[in-house]
Amino acid sequence: MDNQDSTKRASYDFYLILATAVVLAIISAICIYGMFYFQQAQIQDMHPLVKARYMNTMNLVISPFTICLILLIGICVPKRFLPMKMLNWFTLALLVLLGVITYFYGIIMALKINLMLGMVLQFFVLCLAVIGNKHLHFEKKGYWVRVGSSAIHLGIILFILDLFYYKHQTLHLVLFWVTTVATTVGMLCCFYSEAFANLIKKRRWGKSLCLTAQEKR
Amino acid sequence: MDFTELTHHFTLYGNFLIYGLSFIALLAGLLGGANFFSAAPVGQKYCRYTLYGANILFLLGLGLISWMHYHIYVELPLILPDSLSTWLNQQLSAMNAQADYTLPLYDTNSPPRYAIPVWIENEKYFFWFMSYSIMAQVTYNRLKNHRIQGALLLLLTIQIGIMAVFANPFQNPLPKFFAEISPWFQGGLQPMEQLGLFMKLYPKMIFYYNASYMWMHPPMLFFSYAAITMTFVTSSFMLVNRELEVEILGYDCAKFGYFMLTLGMLLGYPWALKAWGPNWWWDPKICSSIMMWAIYSTYLHTRLYANKKSMWYFTSILGILCFLAMVFTFVSSFFFPGEHTFQ
Repeated sequence: MDNQDSTKRASYDFYLILATAVVLAIISAICIYGMFYFQQAQIQDMHPLVKARYMNTMNLVISPFTICLILLIGICVPKRFLPMKMLNWFTLALLVLLGVITYFYGIIMALKINLMLGMVLQFFVLCLAVIGNKHLHFEKKGYWVRVGSSAIHLGIILFILDLFYYKHQTLHLVLFWVTTVATTVGMLCCFYSEAFANLIKKRRWGKSLCLTAQEKR
Repeated sequence: MDFTELTHHFTLYGNFLIYGLSFIALLAGLLGGANFFSAAPVGQKYCRYTLYGANILFLLGLGLISWMHYHIYVELPLILPDSLSTWLNQQLSAMNAQADYTLPLYDTNSPPRYAIPVWIENEKYFFWFMSYSIMAQVTYNRLKNHRIQGALLLLLTIQIGIMAVFANPFQNPLPKFFAEISPWFQGGLQPMEQLGLFMKLYPKMIFYYNASYMWMHPPMLFFSYAAITMTFVTSSFMLVNRELEVEILGYDCAKFGYFMLTLGMLLGYPWALKAWGPNWWWDPKICSSIMMWAIYSTYLHTRLYANKKSMWYFTSILGILCFLAMVFTFVSSFFFPGEHTFQ
């Protein structure tokens, strides 16, 4: 059963990554379109109102894919700690909840709530990774890789959340710096996990040597 | 004030360095080509010396650029007469009360000075290619594959060639900067003209030249560009041969490059809000940078499955695509208008 579950999870992870890659590719294509349109229409020489209209149009074009990306983040976060069956139910419940919020309060509110939920869950995952919980599901093994990956994803969620609040200077700067620290620490832990592990091992080894010397005395 | 006195020695010594680097580029091209095309390694010891030579000259050049920037800091303060500075501070205080990001008041005891980082205008190519040269040295010592070593040397030749021919930072140092400040130092301005020019130069000094983000955002991106070039080399070789050692090296470079790119882009965000306000979103350079970051993220994610044959090749293609996106992103600054344009 466990094997079956892990095989299903692996393919689920794989498809989530593929879906993320597809959405990112579409966003890239829209970006290229935006560049050429900007040049053709000479947006930089236009009245600020025309420039604002261009920005709004581009935001509108990219919004379905940004929504997809934010939804994917919402779905990706709980996969770390929920079993497969519950994960499907969670995804369904999340989509229904966001649909209801969109209906009553608008899409922006739904996205913000999705991001805040993602942030809380990702923070929970990070805490579990820090205390070394064995039941977390990651593609890669290793304590520091898991801590790092959790911190990076928390940083990305916070960054997208920050985009909603750039007009509130203090909140924006707080969110921005938390994002930057989380992402930086995350990347360091994740990419240089072996160096971290060796550093900790050396420290422990040094401490145990000191203790042995003290005991001998 | 005539800037020739300031730049004369800089240009003289700098051009010697460029001649030296050009000679090294020639050697690197010959040795690189020989290693890339032959079945057996050629002149390995000399290849290593060539790389050491390039790095020593690059570091000397960086020292020379820093020396000139130090002189700019010391010798070119924006000094206003006392009578104007009081009036100016009243205006600045009124402006600051309404602005999100404020300008420091003018201090007569310590007039504003230009603390310019060593990667503006043509100097950015120097810094970028120096980063590449140092990374090529580290990679060279780590790998045994002489064809990859040859490719690294060939790319170094191309980069130094581009710099020597099109973007020599020593020949005509900081042309835009000196053009901007020359009316100020030529003198003969009426008080109101002087004040008007000060209000043109001062915000740019604070939000651009002296900005703390200026010291972090561009160099991180240049480090990442150098690392992406390394990943391009390894990814191209991965398409031909399935060598695990090459893949691991490519991944190590990609990790470093992604770290620098992400952090560099992140640090550009609050800077852009501060310097330009919110109207920079959908700027062509931002669009292409997001595209590059998206491809790079995809590369790192698909790399987790590189043990599958199809994903190995897909990852390699993404590594190459990432490099092409980087070139496109950089070149776009010349052809697409916007806040980042070099036009």
